[in-house]
Amino acid sequence: MVQETLLAAWRGRDRFAGKSSVRTWLVGILKHKIIDHIRKEIRDRKLSEAVKSDPTSSLFNADGSWIEAPENWKENPQELCENEQFRHVLQGCIAKLPEKQQIVFRMREISGEDTETVCKEAEITPTHLHVLIHRARLALRTCLEFYWFGGRRS
Amino acid sequence: MNHFCREASQLQSDAFERQLTLSEHIRLRIHLLICEACRNYADSLKLLNSFFHNLRKQVQQDEGITLPDSDRERIKEALSRTSDSAG
Ligand SMILES: [Zn+2]
Repeated sequence: MVQETLLAAWRGRDRFAGKSSVRTWLVGILKHKIIDHIRKEIRDRKLSEAVKSDPTSSLFNADGSWIEAPENWKENPQELCENEQFRHVLQGCIAKLPEKQQIVFRMREISGEDTETVCKEAEITPTHLHVLIHRARLALRTCLEFYWFGGRRS
Repeated sequence: MNHFCREASQLQSDAFERQLTLSEHIRLRIHLLICEACRNYADSLKLLNSFFHNLRKQVQQDEGITLPDSDRERIKEALSRTSDSAG
């Protein structure tokens, strides 16, 4: 259901093409609907975190070094914020995250909830939250490097 | 040889979530001095962090502008009451 909502939001992105403001895109699609829905999901059933949702094994060698070294991103966050195409790519990358990572990441970075609130809502410990956020950041960065910072501009 | 990059990536994310211990902080700083890949990772996390910060700021500003009329009336009333009692 969460996936469907995200997919609907992702497919509906064309309707916002042209004059979409950050507010219509973010408040309308991401913030209220999805966060509320997500909270209900958490209450209704305990979400489990699959083993394969740990991206560190595919990003690091056994000796702890990067398999593929992160590239240097040269972008201005304010310009990125106004770049509609980037927001669509970002939305797509967030939607690819495993369910639980996606939930805590959205609450933390988009809704701006504090650690305590997120832990309470998702029924996890701060340590667990830190691991989930770390995995989400790694996966998101890899996705953005592929779809935005790497391939599409070179 | 054992590399610190995997641990460094967790610490860099944690630094946005909690205060690192002194030893974590020092180990991370030293590693960043010698590892370009982790410096790039650090920069991209900072970029994403300010991106989300900007987004939230814009949303807050937009929401402030679009307060429902009923709320705006209540705020105006409350403000006038405050200035009445102050004066
Ligand atoms: Zn490193």
